[in-house]
Amino acid sequence: MAATRRLAKELADLRKAGLKNFKNINVDEQNILLWQGLVVPDCEAYNKGAFKIQIDFPAEYPFKPPKITFKTKIYHPNIDEKGQVCLPIISAENWKPATKTDQVIQSLVALVNEPEPEHPLRADLAEEFSKDRKKFIKNAQEFTKKHSEKRPTD
Amino acid sequence: MSDDMNSGESDHDSDTDLSDHMDEDDDYCGYYDNDTNDLDIDKPKKTDDPEYFEFELLQLEDVERFLNEEVEVLCSSQKIKPSLAKMLLHAHNWKKEFVIECHSKNPSKLLVDSKVIPKTKNQQLLAGPSAVCGVCLSQVARTDLYDLSCGHMFCGECWDSYCQVQIQQGTTLGIACMANDCDVMMPEDFLYSILSKPDLRNRYSQLSFLEYVKSHPALRFCPGPNCPIIVKAKDCRAKKVLCSTCHTMFCFKCGLEYHAPTDCDVIKKWLTKCADDSETANYISANTKDCPKCHVCIEKNGGCNHMQCSKCKYDFCWMCLGDWKAHGSEYYECSRYKENPNIANESVHAQAREALKKYLFYFERWENHAKSLKLEEQTLDKIKSRIQEKVMNSTGTWIDWQYLLDAAHLLKKCRYTLQYTYPYAYYMEKCARKQLFEYQQAQLEAEVENLSWKVERAEITHRGDLENQMDIAEKRRLTLLKDFLDI
Repeated sequence: MAATRRLAKELADLRKAGLKNFKNINVDEQNILLWQGLVVPDCEAYNKGAFKIQIDFPAEYPFKPPKITFKTKIYHPNIDEKGQVCLPIISAENWKPATKTDQVIQSLVALVNEPEPEHPLRADLAEEFSKDRKKFIKNAQEFTKKHSEKRPTD
Repeated sequence: MSDDMNSGESDHDSDTDLSDHMDEDDDYCGYYDNDTNDLDIDKPKKTDDPEYFEFELLQLEDVERFLNEEVEVLCSSQKIKPSLAKMLLHAHNWKKEFVIECHSKNPSKLLVDSKVIPKTKNQQLLAGPSAVCGVCLSQVARTDLYDLSCGHMFCGECWDSYCQVQIQQGTTLGIACMANDCDVMMPEDFLYSILSKPDLRNRYSQLSFLEYVKSHPALRFCPGPNCPIIVKAKDCRAKKVLCSTCHTMFCFKCGLEYHAPTDCDVIKKWLTKCADDSETANYISANTKDCPKCHVCIEKNGGCNHMQCSKCKYDFCWMCLGDWKAHGSEYYECSRYKENPNIANESVHAQAREALKKYLFYFERWENHAKSLKLEEQTLDKIKSRIQEKVMNSTGTWIDWQYLLDAAHLLKKCRYTLQYTYPYAYYMEKCARKQLFEYQQAQLEAEVENLSWKVERAEITHRGDLENQMDIAEKRRLTLLKDFLDI
């Protein structure tokens, strides 16, 4: 199966490269289509915590895009209460088979660090982010403290 | 404009001056005659008919032939492959002359703009007999690596799987290169050379044909359920098409039901509004009202708005419940919405109420005509059975009574146009032109109700009287369309 072969290769490359912002990559031996990992942001709002995400690869991967969901609650304009995130690079219209998971993760980390209030999933947070940045950061920090995972030690 | 105000009243012949811009198109008039509902008494000449439109009803094979001819013209003029010609035509809405002109002047610019070739070609250096495919990440022999014009190499198996997934998702003409940030489109000959499954080849050719038809401004699928007919017209205009196969009547430009004198954008806005506001408007859909004089409950069971109470014989108007006497004369008031002249100074709340009132006024009339149209169907059935009866009793032949059917068909047509004048009026700015429109609408409204009254009582109405009424109603309809339908 094309998906298995490519994912095994991508996983090995990712583990070898050791990304600074994405750690503890965990893949079930039985099912290579389901990945979990920790997003470790470095911006002010979230740099005291880490966020668990799940990446679901379809059987048709890489001809269809993976799906990403946050398993840890996060106070973010582009991520909703269910953990769904709107990431253009993995939308059905934009997806390219040559796009690597590494690039998807980089794009996700960039979105976490720099929210895009122009196309929000949570309009209330987007408004707060645009109008009162200080308040947003304070709320995000408190939320992170309460709900996020412990940051892994290097 | 003052001329027009009068023209509706008396001089029926003023409509016959010919404008000669369509004279060369004699060949097509046969298609228009397919319209079996148009059993007009004196059908206006095509140059004089604001609804006149040339179109052909084609079968799938005819359209395939037509598209192939278009492609062939481009191929032979520019010496290019059919697959390239198809891409170029599709990318530019089949503007053949435009494509030919651009291709003769500056082919590479046209090819870049049409996403056939990239702005800059990817220089992938392949050293050695094999390379890694960027999609499956496997080492592949160079002979099994393929690229589009952009030079991004991937293995045949990956291209094949990619095409399969795309076609299964319904994408055909929009399949792009697999590389990141590359928007070069895949030509159909590349796809056919790479695709391994024969059933998907068929699927591709079917789906891409649908896409070609949809993108071609001179073609439109008949919107009738499961109807295989494709309409071809010279210009993409908001004109009436009647499919002779499934009898759907629709607008060529937007494919919605025919909506003259309202234009495509406005009818879309109106229908959306009606769908959104349907709950608010629900209360008006009751089918009964009380007689304004004796208060007996009356159910409307025919299309005519001129009501006569069966108990007290009072003649009144179904819409405004006013005395019908006020409606018979030249000034039919009941189609005109009277805006509160002081509305700008009222509170926001009052303005909102006024806006709703205005919408409901137009919606009620729109809805009422839609319902009346359904009821006229019943009248038509009644007339048919009555004619049958008469013929059986040897009072005249079927042909003798044909005029009754003609009258009922004409009534339907006039009421249909009348129904679609209300969205037009609703969105019209208050101006002198609106006054003229409402005047003509009122005129048509009055004559349609007269006709409806006479058709329902066809046996006691004189034939000459009825035919005269038909003539007047149709003239009113055409006058309104001529002045307000954008030709």
